[in-house]
Amino acid sequence: MKKDLSHSRRTFMKAASGFAGTAMFGGISFKAFAQQAQALAPADHCFVFAYFGGGWDVLLNLDPRDPNEFTAERISETRILPGYSLLSQDPTYPTMPIRPEGSNIAFGPAVGRFANHFDKMAIVRGINMNTVAHEVGFRYFLTGKEPNGSAARGSTTATEIVGQLYPKMTAKPPVPNLAFGIETYNDRYDGYANALRVSSSNDLLLTLAPSPTALDSEIEKQLIDMRGKPVTCEAQLYDSRGLVGQYQDARKQVRTVLDASLDRYFRFDSTMGDPPAVAMEKSATVERYRLRVGSNGYPNDPRNSSAARAALVATALKKGVSQCVSINIAGGLDTHFGTQLTQANNQRAGWNALGDLISDLRESTHPGGGTFLDHTTIVVFSEFSRTPLINASGGRDHHITNSCAIVGRGVKHNFVFGMSGNVGMSAGVVDHATGLANPRGFQYLPDHVIATVMASAGLDYSIMRVDPLKGLMAGT
Amino acid sequence: MKTLKTSLVAVALVLAACSSKPVEKPEMAGSLETIDMGNHPPMVKLADPETNQGHVGRKPRRITVAQLRESILTTTGRQWSQINNLAASLGQADYALTVSESTEANLVFAKFLEDGAREVCLATANADLNNATAANRVLFPNVTVMNRDFTTMTDAQVQDNLQYLAVRFWGQRFGDDEVGAWTQTFRAIATRAKAVNQPAQAWGAMCVAFMTDPRFITY
Repeated sequence: MKKDLSHSRRTFMKAASGFAGTAMFGGISFKAFAQQAQALAPADHCFVFAYFGGGWDVLLNLDPRDPNEFTAERISETRILPGYSLLSQDPTYPTMPIRPEGSNIAFGPAVGRFANHFDKMAIVRGINMNTVAHEVGFRYFLTGKEPNGSAARGSTTATEIVGQLYPKMTAKPPVPNLAFGIETYNDRYDGYANALRVSSSNDLLLTLAPSPTALDSEIEKQLIDMRGKPVTCEAQLYDSRGLVGQYQDARKQVRTVLDASLDRYFRFDSTMGDPPAVAMEKSATVERYRLRVGSNGYPNDPRNSSAARAALVATALKKGVSQCVSINIAGGLDTHFGTQLTQANNQRAGWNALGDLISDLRESTHPGGGTFLDHTTIVVFSEFSRTPLINASGGRDHHITNSCAIVGRGVKHNFVFGMSGNVGMSAGVVDHATGLANPRGFQYLPDHVIATVMASAGLDYSIMRVDPLKGLMAGT
Repeated sequence: MKTLKTSLVAVALVLAACSSKPVEKPEMAGSLETIDMGNHPPMVKLADPETNQGHVGRKPRRITVAQLRESILTTTGRQWSQINNLAASLGQADYALTVSESTEANLVFAKFLEDGAREVCLATANADLNNATAANRVLFPNVTVMNRDFTTMTDAQVQDNLQYLAVRFWGQRFGDDEVGAWTQTFRAIATRAKAVNQPAQAWGAMCVAFMTDPRFITY
């Protein structure tokens, strides 16, 4: 049964006068009704959460060890074996940790082009994950709150961020929270903070592309004209709390998105029908992310590869489609039985894609001033790490001590916070204000990392119930 | 003792004879007037706008995905093929990863509803056009269709059908001023549909308009 719109004349006049008053004097009752659809514009502060699925080997990426110091002969003493020599089948892998010129950060051999951006990132080493179960560690890092059993507790960090920031935004992105191949939870915010979950780029295209069932263009125009006509006074009255206005704004946004033909920016494998400027922009994307289009010889699938996902992230942020993008950037890392080379290859695909994404953001100008990377925080994580010793099957098992990378806005750059132990890579005990080892210090958990990300963005982090790592935040 | 038994049998026979008489109808006709119930609690009236921050009644709500699924089926007799695939994006909670149903009327909902309305409405309009029994049609059951041309309908016929659709989709009739604007739009659409030989798009497009109207998705 629909809501009855018939009211007495007296009731109607009272409400109408209330509407006029609140509209004239800036009251909130009809604010939503008066809102106009905003043109798409990039968010002032964007966030990317990049997940490496399966549990990564931190010796190969963010917490390397010198193989000359941690030798096979000293295993009983150190309980650590870098195993870089096992990558020698592929000469593109260095057999020593990488330290680019000017870098305070040493990287493992699998980080690829990601290491080029040492001057824009902080690495956190020695994080105690408190778990070696995939779902638990993954959900722990996604939410910053230790799960109940294996069930996530609370909202994902991306949802927290959108939940807090979206109501204050003037130019609201059409899909503020995008989750690509990754779980997302919302336990406390209204629906606007829910992520649009997509498992492939096709799902996103469905949102941005014209309807698959076409109407005649003239008939479509008639429908648009009719929707644009002034609503009746009764309809205004019905919408006194703004839901209808919100829906009408959303429909205007749909038109804005469709008129901007945003879907064509995400179709990396085709420039058919694109205006020259769009085609040129997409060609640059194809080049940057080495996407295989036609016979260009590049290795990366333009629809489903780490590189294509990174390109999707960049496009979503730069075109103002999203503010937070969570993405499963690489997988296949649960190598209990795999070789070191398998782990390194699977990792490197993700790191190279991230390196290209950061290059893209560094070289793109943000309308608010500076580059896109100046307006973006990228958190790179996995559910846990792998044992510092190689098992009998030639692989590595689950290990509790983890690392993560935070790139861009909000954290110190060219900086390492914390450390893992030199015996068995135990979790670090540090002074939270400096990140330096201190036997009187404390361990740090994913809660601390996420609280730091929230705090550095000026957001309420009280739900984490811990203080941020002050030594990691920019400007401290 | 024997006398007592005989008396009881006699009384029983007398009662049986009484009960077989036809029941007399009450002289007073039924009434729809409300009856004063004495201590019944008072009905809650709509709040006075002056004491309700200018609002009348409670806040409208967007329908859930389950309600949308039923509404589409009830109003058109067919289901949108993608509604289950897109349920999560439309706001449906799975109570594993998302524990609250989103009833935001946001961009994704508006976009997918438009897609769904077009699929369902054009299919319904096409089926109606091929249905020889007028009464079985969904979108224009009382319209005499001549050569699949809706431009010959009079204003009164158009308005009658629009009012029928308004009740079908929204559960309420148009106001007089609004039905005029919709009639005008229908006339333009019907003319165009005839010109491009797409007769299903005449009432099909109007069905899309009804299904994507705020009155369809709120209550």
